[in-house]
Amino acid sequence: MPYFGSEEMVKELKRALSNPHVQSDRLRYKNYITKVIRYMTQGLDVSSLFMDMVKASATVDIVQKKLVYLYMCTYASDKPDLALLAINTLRKDCADPNPMVRGLALRNMCNFRMPGMTEYIEQPIVAALRDKASYVRRVAVLGCAKMHSLQPNTEIDGRIVNELYALLRDPDPVVVVNCLRALEEILKDEGGVVINKPIAHHLLNRMKELDSWAQSEVLNFLLRYHPRSDDELFDILSLLDSFLQSSHAHVVVSTLRLFLHLASAHRAVQADALLRTSAPLLATCSAVSRELRFAGLCHVQQVMRSQPGLFATHYKRFFCGYSEPSYIKFRKMEILVELVNDENVSLVLEELRSYCTDVSPELAQAAIAAIGRIARTYSEKCLDILTGLLALKQDHITSAVIQTFRDLVWFCPQSTAAVCQTVEAGVDRPQDSEGKQALLWLLGAHGDQMGSAPYVMEGYIDGLKTELSSTVKMELLTATVKMFLCRPAETQDMLGRLLHYCIEEESDVCVRDRALLYYRLLQRGAEETRRVVTGPKSDPSMSVLTGRQEEPISEWASTFNTLGPLAGRDSCPQTDAISAADQPSYSAGEELLPGSEDVTLSGPGDTEEEISLSLGAPLSHESFEKMWLDLEILHRQALGVSRPRTAPDTLQASLQLEKIQTLAFTPADTVPWKAYIYTRSTGTLILAELLQGATDESLVLSVKQQPVNQHAIRRFVSVLKSVLQTLNLE
Amino acid sequence: MIHSLFLINNAGDLFLEKHWKSVISRSVCDYFFEAREKAVEPDNVPPVIRTPHHYLINIYREKIFFVSVIQTEVPPLFVIEFLHRVAETFQDYFGECSETTIKDNVVIVYELLEEMLDNGFPLATESNILKELIRPPTILRSMVNTITGSSNVGETLPTGQLSTIPWRRAGVKYTNNEAYFDVVEEIDAILDKSGTTVFAEIQGVIEACVKLSGMPDLSLSFMNPRLLDDVSFHPCVRYKRWESERVISFIPPDGNFQLMSYHISAQNLVAIPVYVKQNISFFETGSSGRMDITVGPKQTMGKTVECLVVTVHMPKVVLSANLNATQGTYNYDPVTKILVWDIGKLNPQKLPNLKGSLSLQSGAPKPEENPSLNIDLKIQQLAISGLKVNRLDMYGEKYKPFKGVKYVTKAGKFQVRT
Repeated sequence: MPYFGSEEMVKELKRALSNPHVQSDRLRYKNYITKVIRYMTQGLDVSSLFMDMVKASATVDIVQKKLVYLYMCTYASDKPDLALLAINTLRKDCADPNPMVRGLALRNMCNFRMPGMTEYIEQPIVAALRDKASYVRRVAVLGCAKMHSLQPNTEIDGRIVNELYALLRDPDPVVVVNCLRALEEILKDEGGVVINKPIAHHLLNRMKELDSWAQSEVLNFLLRYHPRSDDELFDILSLLDSFLQSSHAHVVVSTLRLFLHLASAHRAVQADALLRTSAPLLATCSAVSRELRFAGLCHVQQVMRSQPGLFATHYKRFFCGYSEPSYIKFRKMEILVELVNDENVSLVLEELRSYCTDVSPELAQAAIAAIGRIARTYSEKCLDILTGLLALKQDHITSAVIQTFRDLVWFCPQSTAAVCQTVEAGVDRPQDSEGKQALLWLLGAHGDQMGSAPYVMEGYIDGLKTELSSTVKMELLTATVKMFLCRPAETQDMLGRLLHYCIEEESDVCVRDRALLYYRLLQRGAEETRRVVTGPKSDPSMSVLTGRQEEPISEWASTFNTLGPLAGRDSCPQTDAISAADQPSYSAGEELLPGSEDVTLSGPGDTEEEISLSLGAPLSHESFEKMWLDLEILHRQALGVSRPRTAPDTLQASLQLEKIQTLAFTPADTVPWKAYIYTRSTGTLILAELLQGATDESLVLSVKQQPVNQHAIRRFVSVLKSVLQTLNLE
Repeated sequence: MIHSLFLINNAGDLFLEKHWKSVISRSVCDYFFEAREKAVEPDNVPPVIRTPHHYLINIYREKIFFVSVIQTEVPPLFVIEFLHRVAETFQDYFGECSETTIKDNVVIVYELLEEMLDNGFPLATESNILKELIRPPTILRSMVNTITGSSNVGETLPTGQLSTIPWRRAGVKYTNNEAYFDVVEEIDAILDKSGTTVFAEIQGVIEACVKLSGMPDLSLSFMNPRLLDDVSFHPCVRYKRWESERVISFIPPDGNFQLMSYHISAQNLVAIPVYVKQNISFFETGSSGRMDITVGPKQTMGKTVECLVVTVHMPKVVLSANLNATQGTYNYDPVTKILVWDIGKLNPQKLPNLKGSLSLQSGAPKPEENPSLNIDLKIQQLAISGLKVNRLDMYGEKYKPFKGVKYVTKAGKFQVRT
C-alpha cells in the first residue's frame, strides 16, 4: 500500500534521481520518473522531489518531458519559488524547432496555476499566436484564456482580445473554435463573445470542417445571433439543415435547439424540425450506452410537451428491457403514460401491468401510479388491472394501489363507485404510513358508499397505541369525524374513544391539537362541523382545465439540451411526486379544511419541487395598496391574449378556482382596463396587475412579489395564462 | 467545460484523477458516492448528479465510473458522448478498458487525456490523429523501447491535422490497397410468453477498414437501399448524394472507422432467428421448482446460429439448480443468481434442451414473477434485415484495390419473457 513507509520510498526515489549513474542511463532515469508519477497519481505526496524533477525536464525525450511537466503542473502551486526555476527550461522549449515540443511547453507553462506567472507567459503566448504550426496556435489561443483566469480581476487586455477576434479567420478550424472558447471565458463579465453578422456567417460556412464537438459548441454560440430578415434566417436554416441528421446525438440536439430558437416565429418550421429529428432522437433512446439512452429519453419528454403525437406510433420503443437501470425505466414509464391513445391502450397497460410485479418496490409503485394516471382517461380497464394487483397480496403493491385509488377518486369522480366497491370487497391493510393515510382518506371521504367502512376504521382505532406515525393519526381523526357526520350511529362510540385517547394520552402536540379542534368543533353541533370539515371530494379545478394541453414550444425550448431536465428531478420519483405534479390546487383552503388532504402537512419536502398556488387569508385593499407601492416590479410580460369577453363574475370565479384572488378591476368598457390580482405560493405572496391599453390589444402583466421566488412567478404566469386562454375559447 | 475527471472502480476506490483547470478536491466525489450508495446496483446510478457547486456527469463502463465535474452549463449529451469517447480511446489503445490496464498504462492515459482536452475543451479525439501523436503500446514496441530506450511519441506533428480533409492525413501509401466492410446487425427484441414479438428492431452498423493510397473517392451502393430510412453517417459521407441517389459517396479516413449506423424498426422487417419454448414454474409447497427450456431455429435464412448463450436472472430465493443439458454446458452462480447456458452451435435436427429442477430457500414464499431470459447469438454471413451491398467503386486513384464485404448478425438486447 502506498501509504505505509511512503517517506522511505520518497527518500529512496530522491537518492536514485540524484545519483549520477542513474542520470546517465536514460532508461533507468526514465523508469524512476515514471515511478514518481505513479505514486503521484495514487495520491502520495512526492512534492519534495521537485528540484530533482525540474532537472529531469532538460531532455530530448518527449515522453520524459511530458511526465515532468505533468509533475510540475501538479505541484507548482505548492512550490511557486521552485517552479520559477523550471520556467527557463520551458521558455527555451517554446522556441524548439519541433512544433510538438513548442506546443507542449506552452501548454504546461499556462497550466502552472500560480500567481505571478503572467509576466513570464505573456510574451511566449503572444509570439505563439502567430506560430506557423496550427498545433501551437491552438495551444496559444487557449493559453490566453488560462492567463486571464490567473488574474481574473485585472482589466481585460484589449490587444489580446482583438488578436483573438482576428484569429477567428484562421485556416485551422480548431484554432477558430478555440478562439471562441477563449473569448467566451475572457469576456465572461461582458456577456461573452459577440456574434455579429460577419462572424455568424463565417462560422456557418466553416461548420462542415469542424469536428463534432466543435460543431456542437458553435451551434450553441450561434444561439446569440439574431438574423435581421426572414431571407437571412432561411439561408442560415438551410445551411444547418444537414446537421439535423448528424451521426452524433449531441450535434443533432444542438442543431434542433438552434432551429427552435431561430424559427421561434415560424411554427411550421419548428414543427418540421421536430419531425425530422424524431428519428435520431428515437435512435438515441435505444443507443448502446445507457447514459445516452437516458439523455435521449429526457429530450423526447421535452419535445412531447408540445407535440405529444410525434412519438405515438413508436410507443413500443419505450417498453422497458429487463436489464435496464431504474432511472431509464422511470423515464420510459412517464413517456408511456403520455403516449396512450385508443389504439395502444390495452398493449401499454399490459406492459405496465408486468412492471407492477418488478423486484424493485419503487419501480413497482411507479408503474402502479402510471396506471393510475392512465385511469383518468381509461378508467375501466385500469381499475380491472389495479383490482387484480390487490389479489397478489404484496404489501408494497397494495399500498401503492390504494394511494393510486385515492388520487384517482380525487381527479376522476366518476370512478368513485367502482373504487368503493373494490375497497369494500376487502383489501389488505397497507402497512406503510402512506398507504394507511390513503386508505383512511378514502374511508373518510366516501364512507357513505362502503358498508364496512366503520369496522375497518375501528380496527385502526383499536391499534392506535402501536401506531407510530403522527400523520396517520391525524388522518384517522379527520376520517373518523367525516364518517361520523354521515353515519353517526355506527361511529359515535369509536369517535369518542379516539378523541379521548388523542386528547388524554397522545404525546404528539399536533395530534392532540387536532383532536382538541375537532372536539370543540363537535361541541358547536353537527351542522357547524359539517360546514367546516367536509370539503370538495374531487379536484374542483378539473372543470376548468380538462385534458393535457399542448404547451407552446417556447415553454421548454430555452432549457432544451441543458442539464436542468436531466437533473431536475430526483431520478426515482416517488409515487406522490408524480401525482403531486398535477395537483396545483391540493392545498386548497388548507386553513379551513385541515383534514381534506394531508399531503400539505406531511412536510415541506413534498411541496418544494412542485409549486402550487393557494388562496390563504384574504388581503385587505389597504395592505395590498401599501405593498404594491413598496415593492418593485419583478417581472413584466405581454401575455399574448386579450381580455376575456366574459362577465366580470365569471373571470373572478375562474381565477379563484385556480387559487388566484381578484382584488379589484375597472368596469368592462373603460380604456385602459386594469385588474389587480394576488395569490400565495409556498411562502411567498404574489401581487399582479393586468393592463390592457386599447381594446383587443394583448394584456400586459406586471408582477411583484415578497419574498422573491422566480419559480412561483413562472408557475403563476402559466396558470394565469391558461385560465385566460380557456376563457377566451368559450 | 469539463473541469475534472475522476475514475472510480466498482468498489468505490478513486484510482485516477485529472484536472484541466484548477484542482478540484476529491471530496466533490462524496456526492457521487452518496448517489452510488442509494442506487444499490452500480447500473442504477443516475448519470447526472447535482451538487451545490457542480454537476457531476458520469458514465459506467466496464466496471469503471467515469465521473466528470462540470461547472458551467453544458449540453449533457455532449459530455456523455465525450466520456464514452474517452473510454473507447482507452479500449482502442489498450485492447480493453479496465482498471488494471489503465493503471498499467497510466503514463499513456495521462498523455491521452492531456491531448484530448485542453482547458476543458475537446481537442483531438479522432483515433487516427491521436495515434500519430501518441503511439499505442504493443508488445513488440514496448520490447524495442526497453532495449533502445526510445519513446512511443510521434516525432513529427500529425499531418492529418494539416490536410484539407480533417479526417484523412495526406500522403498515405500502401503496397496492398484494400477496403473491407463489415455489416454488423444487432437484433433488439422482446418476446412474450407465447413467443409473439412485443418489440423488435435492428441496429446496424457498417464498420470499414480502408487502407488505400492517396486520396481515393469511394462510392458504395446497396441492392435494397429502401430498407434504410433511419441512418446516420460518418462526417465524411456526402449527405446530399445519399438523399438524392441513395449512394454512399465519401473520401474515407485512413484505417478503421464506422461508416454508418442505421435502425430498422418496422417490425415486419425484423426476422427473429430463434424461438424459445420454456416452462419455468415454482411449486406452492416443497420449496422447489421446475425448469424446461428448448431453443430452436425460426427464421435463419438457411444459415447456422452460433455462439448461442441463454442467460436467466433467477429470483433471489433460488438456491441451486440441478439441470440436465442435452447440448452445451450450464452454470448457475448462486451469488448473482444468474444461470448461464452456453449452447454453442444450434443444430436444427437435434434441438438443445435444458431440463431439471430448481431448489428454493425453504420457507420463503413462492416468487411472484418468473425470470426473463436473455439470449445471445451470432449468425455469420447474414444481415438479418436482408441488406446487401451491391458494389463499391473508386474514383480519383488509378490502382485496383482489393474489396470485401462481410455480414454478421448478433443478438443485442434480446429478451424472452416467461
